Amino acid sequence: MTVLDRHASPTMPTAMRRHTRSAALALVALGSLACGRPDGGRAEPSADSTGSTADAGGTIVIAAQEPDALFPPAIAGIPGKALSDLMFDQLAMIGPGLNTTGDAGFEPRLADEWTWAPDSLSIAFHLDARARWHDGRPVRADDVRFSFIAYTDPDAASPHAESLVGIDSVTVRDSSTAVFWFRRRMPEQFFQAVYHMSIMPSHRFRDLTPSQYATSEAARSPVGSGRFRFVRWTPGAAVEVIADTGNYRGRARLDRVLWSATADPSTMFTRLVTGDADFMERIGPEVLAQVPRHADLRVHHYPGFSYAYMAFNLTDGASSRPHPVLADRELRRALTRALDRDAMVKNVWESLAVPALGPFVRAFASADTTIPQLAFDTAGASRTLDSLGWRDPDGDGVRERNGVPLAFTIIAPTSSPQRGQYAVLIQEQLRRIGAKVTIDMLEFNAFLERLKGGRFDAQMGFAMMDPTPATVRQFWGSLATRSKGLNSGSYTSRVFDAEIDSATTAFDPGAAITHYRRGYAAVVADAPAVWLYEPSPAAAVHRRIQVTGMRADAWWAGLADWSIAPGQRIDRDRIGLAARP
Amino acid sequence: MGRLVVRRILHAVWVILAATTLTFVLLHTAPGDPFAAMVENSRMSEATRARLRHVHGLDRPIGEQYLRWIANVARGDLGHSTSQGRPVSDALAEAIPNTLVLMGTALVLSFAVGVTLGTYQALRRGTVSDRVLGTVALAFYSLPDFWLALIAVLVFAYRLRLLPAGGVVTLLVHDQLGFWGRAGDRLQHLVLPALTLTLLTGAGIARFQRAALLDVMGEEFVRTARAKGVPERSIVRRHLLRNALVPTITLLGLALPSLLGGAAVIEKVFNWPGLGLLAVNAIATRDYFLVTGSVIAGSAAVAIGSALADVLHAAADPRVRGPAR
Repeated sequence: MTVLDRHASPTMPTAMRRHTRSAALALVALGSLACGRPDGGRAEPSADSTGSTADAGGTIVIAAQEPDALFPPAIAGIPGKALSDLMFDQLAMIGPGLNTTGDAGFEPRLADEWTWAPDSLSIAFHLDARARWHDGRPVRADDVRFSFIAYTDPDAASPHAESLVGIDSVTVRDSSTAVFWFRRRMPEQFFQAVYHMSIMPSHRFRDLTPSQYATSEAARSPVGSGRFRFVRWTPGAAVEVIADTGNYRGRARLDRVLWSATADPSTMFTRLVTGDADFMERIGPEVLAQVPRHADLRVHHYPGFSYAYMAFNLTDGASSRPHPVLADRELRRALTRALDRDAMVKNVWESLAVPALGPFVRAFASADTTIPQLAFDTAGASRTLDSLGWRDPDGDGVRERNGVPLAFTIIAPTSSPQRGQYAVLIQEQLRRIGAKVTIDMLEFNAFLERLKGGRFDAQMGFAMMDPTPATVRQFWGSLATRSKGLNSGSYTSRVFDAEIDSATTAFDPGAAITHYRRGYAAVVADAPAVWLYEPSPAAAVHRRIQVTGMRADAWWAGLADWSIAPGQRIDRDRIGLAARP
Repeated sequence: MGRLVVRRILHAVWVILAATTLTFVLLHTAPGDPFAAMVENSRMSEATRARLRHVHGLDRPIGEQYLRWIANVARGDLGHSTSQGRPVSDALAEAIPNTLVLMGTALVLSFAVGVTLGTYQALRRGTVSDRVLGTVALAFYSLPDFWLALIAVLVFAYRLRLLPAGGVVTLLVHDQLGFWGRAGDRLQHLVLPALTLTLLTGAGIARFQRAALLDVMGEEFVRTARAKGVPERSIVRRHLLRNALVPTITLLGLALPSLLGGAAVIEKVFNWPGLGLLAVNAIATRDYFLVTGSVIAGSAAVAIGSALADVLHAAADPRVRGPAR
């Protein structure tokens, strides 16, 4: 695809904010549109984003969990999101740097250009004239307005509605221009408008009410505008999509993606080694060691977007009283220093994770790898505990102070063997400094109940991140404690809250990063949690497949540009795009 | 016989109602809900989860939810699956035939194998072959189902590459085959899961059949038949097998629940999209309506199977039917 002009940030003078494509692209597009085509007048792309499509072809079978839905507003899980992103486009795509402030780095998708209003309270998106739905109809501004309704109408009950709360409405200026109106000026308003919302064809849902959208036949047989088009969904077996040969962004380099529903990770890997599947998105340490034994397979690492931690409960159970042991900041810092996090990562994850540095992931632009860490120092931790009055006069191996033993319970979900292993390692390492830890492994839902009720001393938590670092507030902000958010340990810090507030209202990306980093540093210094690991995910993939563009927030982002060299193709790669039942 | 059938059908209805009510109550009183798994996803706030719970009526009192659900079931509406985004009846309609094929094949094969082996062993009681077969049957009977399934995959799919590792058909290729090719493809995929279930269930039936036959062999009427000079083959067919089959028919009713339970594990290992796999996934995602729907289907299958076994038992043994009127 031809590279378009860069788009301006909202901090630039408004007079300069309208951008047009290059004259060369206009000529190419006009020339293309002028040609008669057998598929409803759809523009043949001049080239795809990585080069010629002459050698396009091949089938990739992905062993993964079955999607919960293919209708974008109804999707809650990763499999559904991945598949819908293959079939549906957004107006613009976040760049590889994952910037969420202004529109810097965002790449055109259905919108080939956009214009900020002088007061920045609205953005007009101009749709690419070449864009067509897979049924041949042109993509119109009315489709954008419909999509906004499908995401935000209360009757549609989309789990993503809250992500669009800053958008007041979407109006249609003309058939190719949709205008987003915002409630207030925000640094991330462009991100809000384009990241969470896929554009869907209004004509497919014309006679339905919002409450019927997600359960309609149109929702299960989607018609999108992405580089892959839907073929069929055989529940319990597979979802099949094929290349949209006339796509305005260029034909996908693969013919077909077969999303093969496989519930169990060990079954997924079995399917890989028996040749039934080509790709498994995430492998565990036990599988990592097995991959080299199979000549057809290789490991492909990509950036992660999550971190795990052990959060302390700073209050006494469900009450608002301070926890008798863990409310003390210096004690928490000492406990953190008693843990060899580097060794634990190697022990549990081998090369599939790195120590977490704080309440962020390394893929964030705001990540701070220089943030001062509480380094592993058992002797130092013991000295701190001594100085705080935690001693072991009776020699039973457990320190105590004023009759209160240095003892607490860690709860961990049985759904995560790794977090269970970490709990055991932590128990042993804290035993060495005189802290008695008991472990309570709980079924996942029981674990969540304990978190919500605050009925724990320490919990093995996990955070899946959004590209916006603002989500850090949901885990560590004062307004997100217990039932109001994910801050189950009731950590509060005015410094953190103030810095994150400043970061989320800063229009200058540099200033936002500075505030975020100060906020992270405040949390790390207070040690409301021990930052355990940040997964460095690895996929198992068949050697014939060339993988590209796996983004931290979406490993499937570049899937349309994955390829299989003609000389390496196997039988299923040669099926082609022939009509299938 | 007619009264017996009616009685069994009424009994089956009560069993299904009790099983589903218990499931409904246990599910709703257990921690979590269909949207709990979103907790670790920063994109889903607590407010969003609360809204989804409200939309699906999960914030209402459990009694109200139950009455609403039971009224809908009476109208044939089993509810909407939160994990699959479609009516529960649609999900069941696709899964049940797969399970019936797997269970039916395994049931027929395991009884054929079990009865044959058990009879063979009983007739050669105390011989080397009896001891060897008994040990082998005991070994299979003792094996965990998931372990045997994994070993079967390892040997036949991975090492020998003789059979597919899972699924119902070969994706992509299946549609390009002719009628017999498709039938062969389905059969190929059926072999490993059906074989695993057959080995597990058949081993138990063989031990049962052997013991039943040995019991009958000691009866006076068998000795009398022998004393009268009835040929051994005729004794086996007309006296021994006919009488020993009565408890084996009872075993048919008992085998259905265990087969259904075993099928859940086997379906998961072999990625067989049947009722068991559907239920396991539904439980993991707290998909209330899909779990209760699966329980209705599963308990109905077991109740019908048990009733069928009772009717067959009554047909085989006039004493069960009671005195003639």
